Amino acid sequence: MEPNRTALPFREFSHRISLIFMLTLAAALLLLGRAETYVFDRARQVVTDLAAPLLEIASRPVAAARRVIERTDEYAYVFDENERLRAENARLLEWKEEALRLQAKLARYEALLNVQVDQSIEYVSGRVVSDSGGPFIDTVLVNVGSEKGVRSGLAVIDSDGLIGRVVATGPKASRVLLLTDLNSRVPVVVEPSQYKAILAGDNTSWPKLEYLPVQSAVSVGDRVVTSGDGGLIPAGLPVGLVIQTSSGELRVQTFSDRGRLDFVRVLQYEFPSEVKLQDPPSMLRDDAAPAGAGASDAAASGGQRAGVE
Amino acid sequence: MAKLEPYAPTPAARAGRIAKTVTPFVIGIVCVLLSFVPFGRIVGSPLAPAFPLMAIYYWAIVRPEMFPPLAVFAVGVLFDLLSGGEIGLWAFVYVVTYSIVITQRLMLVNVPFSAFWAGFAFTAAFAGALAWVVVSVIHGMLVPPGPVFWHMAVTVAVFPLFAMVFGRFETRVLLGG
Repeated sequence: MEPNRTALPFREFSHRISLIFMLTLAAALLLLGRAETYVFDRARQVVTDLAAPLLEIASRPVAAARRVIERTDEYAYVFDENERLRAENARLLEWKEEALRLQAKLARYEALLNVQVDQSIEYVSGRVVSDSGGPFIDTVLVNVGSEKGVRSGLAVIDSDGLIGRVVATGPKASRVLLLTDLNSRVPVVVEPSQYKAILAGDNTSWPKLEYLPVQSAVSVGDRVVTSGDGGLIPAGLPVGLVIQTSSGELRVQTFSDRGRLDFVRVLQYEFPSEVKLQDPPSMLRDDAAPAGAGASDAAASGGQRAGVE
Repeated sequence: MAKLEPYAPTPAARAGRIAKTVTPFVIGIVCVLLSFVPFGRIVGSPLAPAFPLMAIYYWAIVRPEMFPPLAVFAVGVLFDLLSGGEIGLWAFVYVVTYSIVITQRLMLVNVPFSAFWAGFAFTAAFAGALAWVVVSVIHGMLVPPGPVFWHMAVTVAVFPLFAMVFGRFETRVLLGG
């Protein structure tokens, strides 16, 4: 006991010194971190990749518990649900008629315009394994990474619509920035007025519409879809509905439920920024060949046209 | 006069002592990982309590010598790395909060649990307000305070449960054996 007692003032002193040192270090880190240096990004990726398997194991019972709760809820409301589904079915049948009619019409127009339908975008499926874990950030970890072809910038959707985009990837896990995060900006179109805007998250449940050219052209209940501007996110993905907050501001209620994210798809969309150079039709080539010097000109202009289209 | 043998602990005793020393820190790390488990999804809400803050407060009051400033800093940095937000934010908030809790330690040690809990409510309010100020300064705008308020409210609400668990650890691992 004797040596301990004499050491006590010294220990208290060293405790205080280390406290001051840590305070300084934390403040320095906060300032340095703003520079977003490579070291921090690297460290973040390593830690995320290490923690992802642990979090995946931990999130399994959570998913199971949620299913149990949902199941009991379903039993409790099975009659109401049945009634609601019957009504919805009737309404949907009407819509189906409408859709078929429109499809036929669209097929006619497409034949008329010779529009080529986009080939379907490939995707990787994954599970959301972690929560954001802080009140100022809205990101989640998904258990697929660069090993499965996930890259930064790819759009992520669930069964209801767009949830965000990938901002960092490790070999086995990726971080998804949700639409509600402070740093999230997504180009969107408000239907049916077709006005473009930027969907900006601000750490509340409902992101804002920024840079709307005409505020009055948008009304409550309008659908918001991605515009595809910038080439990062494919156009036409459902995002949400326009709502009015109690303060009279227009905001967007996303289709996907932030609190119930589970299975998601990462769209491996590649903006068609480079169109292959097409040879002019053989008919033209035959015409151009005898002219000799004009051949390269024709090919060049043909290539340009293909590029423009 | 009998001469005493110099004390030489067996390897097992040494391992036991190391285990005791790191238990609070390991609990802190587990608390960080817990904050990323999507418990909110069970009930369909994104709210999650600040688990590391509970561990920091508890050990700062009960066993400060086993939860030094370095441990607080490490817990905060790990949290920052995993959360993908500003690096150093929670490290800074937790270390500042810890240093203030330490100064009030004599007031909060060996008091009834209600007082201990009230102390935690003040601590959580302080940590939340500090984090809010730092984030607002970083982003150059007034960040909506709603999320951080609810975050801390949930934390204070579930604190008794965790204090009980930490207490068990303290009596079983640190005092027992």
